[in-house]
Amino acid sequence: MIAPFSHVLVVAGILFALGAFCAVTRRNLIMIVLGIEIMLNAAAIAFVGGSLHLDNLDGQTFVLFILAVAATEVSVGLAIIVYAFRRTGSFDPADFNLLR
Amino acid sequence: MAGSPAYAVDLTAMIAATMLPFVSFLTILIATRGRPRLSAGLSIGSVTISLACSIALLALHFHLAAPIEFSTRLLASGGLDIPFGFLLDRLNLLMIAIVSAICFLVQVYSLGYMAGDPGFSRYYGFMSLFTWAMMSLALSASLLQLYFFWELVGLSSYLLIGFWYEKFSATQAGKKAFVMTRAGDAAFFIGLLLLFVHTGDLSIAHLDSRSALSGVSPSFLTLSALLIFGGIVGKSAQFPLMTWLPDAMEGPTPVSALLHSATMVAAGVYLFARLFPFFSMSSVAMTVFLAIGTISMLLASTMAIVSRDIKKVWAYSTISQLGFMIMALGAGGYFAGVFHLTTHAGFKALLFLCSGVFIHRYETNDIYELSRFGARRMVIPTVSIVLGAAALSGLPPLSGYFSKEAIMGSLAAMHNPLWLAAGLAGVFLTAYYSFRVIFILLFPRAEGAASPPPQEAGITAGGHAAHESGYRAMAWPLIILSAVSVIFGFFKTSFKDFIGGGAAAGGAAGMEPSWLHIAPLALALAGVGLAWVEFGRKGAKQIGFVDRMPVLSRLFAERWYIDRFYGLVVEFVIDRGISRLCSQNDRKVIDGSIDGICEGTVESGWVVAFLQTGMIQYRLLAILGVLALLLLCFYF
Amino acid sequence: MTLYGILFYLISAAVIGATAIAITRKNLMHAVVYLIVSFFGTAMLFYLFGAPLLAAFEVIIYAGAIMVLFLFVVMMIREEPSGESVFPATQWVPAAFFCLIYVFVAAAMAVQTPGLNAPLKMLTASPIQFAVHVFEYHWFSIEVVSLLLLVALIGALNLGAGKSAHCGQDGEEEK
Repeated sequence: MIAPFSHVLVVAGILFALGAFCAVTRRNLIMIVLGIEIMLNAAAIAFVGGSLHLDNLDGQTFVLFILAVAATEVSVGLAIIVYAFRRTGSFDPADFNLLR
Repeated sequence: MAGSPAYAVDLTAMIAATMLPFVSFLTILIATRGRPRLSAGLSIGSVTISLACSIALLALHFHLAAPIEFSTRLLASGGLDIPFGFLLDRLNLLMIAIVSAICFLVQVYSLGYMAGDPGFSRYYGFMSLFTWAMMSLALSASLLQLYFFWELVGLSSYLLIGFWYEKFSATQAGKKAFVMTRAGDAAFFIGLLLLFVHTGDLSIAHLDSRSALSGVSPSFLTLSALLIFGGIVGKSAQFPLMTWLPDAMEGPTPVSALLHSATMVAAGVYLFARLFPFFSMSSVAMTVFLAIGTISMLLASTMAIVSRDIKKVWAYSTISQLGFMIMALGAGGYFAGVFHLTTHAGFKALLFLCSGVFIHRYETNDIYELSRFGARRMVIPTVSIVLGAAALSGLPPLSGYFSKEAIMGSLAAMHNPLWLAAGLAGVFLTAYYSFRVIFILLFPRAEGAASPPPQEAGITAGGHAAHESGYRAMAWPLIILSAVSVIFGFFKTSFKDFIGGGAAAGGAAGMEPSWLHIAPLALALAGVGLAWVEFGRKGAKQIGFVDRMPVLSRLFAERWYIDRFYGLVVEFVIDRGISRLCSQNDRKVIDGSIDGICEGTVESGWVVAFLQTGMIQYRLLAILGVLALLLLCFYF
Repeated sequence: MTLYGILFYLISAAVIGATAIAITRKNLMHAVVYLIVSFFGTAMLFYLFGAPLLAAFEVIIYAGAIMVLFLFVVMMIREEPSGESVFPATQWVPAAFFCLIYVFVAAAMAVQTPGLNAPLKMLTASPIQFAVHVFEYHWFSIEVVSLLLLVALIGALNLGAGKSAHCGQDGEEEK
């Protein structure tokens, strides 16, 4: 017997909030992407826990997709960040305001 | 009668007569703007077919007993039922024949007069529009339909008067004509609505049958008659709204001929004749009409006495002759009014077209200058203008004599001799002013040292050669119209048989006293005589008796200060009163509110722009905030 | 409380703690390393929840591939120690406020909802079972995801190629 599912959800929620906090507050593009990774990870935990709770493998399948999407997002996102850094020499999102 | 061959023929002829000019108008406007000869050909071709159809209809129905009505429903909703179609009776037949004939002649004449004008195609397009509107107006079966075409006539006359739109005075004149006739039309429309509300039917045949209006109170009848007459006053340039007509001389001369003989101004009189049984049901209204006709007739005659501009003289005389027609109709002389409308269409077109020849050739409107340039050397126009003036003043063998006599006959039938006296005075003045022009033209005087210099003669001779081809196109209509003016009077009795069927005053004309045949003639001759003494005979100073009285001549030349009065009214009431209020409202309320909205937008834009920092994380923060709030919202 | 329950709470605490440390590091390298610890912990949670294959994937893809990618980028770009204030007050105060709201409401909902409080049973989906399920019911999604990965590959390649094309123009200061 493991802990109840609600506790799993709370853990996932806290992780998600931490990721969101990181994405919103850190003034560094790489940290923003990291925060997004943390959020995805929190969602994955909730899905796997749900899969166990409902005895349904679809949750795990979904985590598989989340992994794929995370990999995609990170590769393209980091490429964009590197590109942007070469153009402006900065990681600060406040510097990318050409459209203002 | 539906389905019978005669029916189909009539309908086809009427549709062809009315719609072809419209088709040519559209074609000219859309397709052949750049090809003047083709446009003129189209327009003249369509009006020729119109003329042929009208004459065919006239011949077919010469012994028409009862009016024929072809109508379909324009719109019907609930209790509203507005018919749309053609009404054919004797007055119509006559009117479409006159209109198409005059339009045809004027268009042929314009070939010469307008040759080389940059707006040649446009001119013919508008001419076609005018023809269409006027023909349809004459054939309208219901008052509402008539009103449509009434307004279209107003529009096309506006377009034609302001035809030379580069000229400021021409656009002003067009605008004035439009606005003043519109003032009358507003009254007309109100009258129309009143009538519609009370009788529920605007069909002309219905309104003209007495039984339809039996249930309506007399005061209401008078009111609606007066209101509808307002439209006639505007269109036919009668007393309060007469000043647009002299200014309308700014248009090309053939336009003036068309406007002042058969179409624009005649539309008013035609409407009067059209609704004659309706109008004659209200004696108060008829008296008012009579008074207005008399006043405009006398005023316009006095104005014509002092004018030096040949076209303006004829314009004033148009007003005064229209006054005669209104007088005749107001006095109950249906036949006299319509007859004068017919003859006047002929000789007034003739007079204008003759003047047009002179103006085209010498490029001045001043009769003294025309005379000095030797206008009398042009034989055909000179002979024609003398004939026209004689007809206008009512000299015996010409058409004007017969129609004037008929008018005097109906005026004599009135109880009050004042009307007859005024009419006779009008006859005298008419003869005087028309022959004043003729004598000045015929007998040039060297005013001071201003004998025509030889080199000027050379210039005009050169111009003459250039205008030679156009001259022929202009001369033919003159000859035809002169012939009509000479001959038409002799058909008085057959005309009376044709038109006088429904006339109420048929009996009154029979008992006219014998001196009535002589009095108008004698007065006309006296007028001619006075003109001869002052302008014609050798050694005459060519100064009229009015010119010796500066006060009077000034009064007449200023058109009795009617224009000045309107100017003052416009200035004080409209400019300083209403306009100022409106402009204050515009500036303070409308501008203010719009400025407020604009400034508000700009300021809120600043606020919003402050929010938009171009920073991703603030947007992420906003997303997070919204998510949290949504969560709260779901939870509670 | 069973051994597995204790394990769950311990690992959860470790994951949350590592993540919290990771997001507060000023040095990016440290942050990434702490996050790798967090992901290892997540993999253990997966294993605990009966998803051994996903646990392996978590280690291989997240902790292995993705985090190594981050390390590459961090090391490739010599970041000058800028005057970055790690948490500007205009951002962290509202963010913390909203995050707290979120956590409290989510926790309240999760605890109050009936049926969620029964302890989870121990079950394990063997990789074979999992693979059969995936390819039985979700084969099309797998194809779509593989397409997505292909697109990402091309996109990343394109961005990299664009970089070298632009180098001659504006990349002088890097060399």
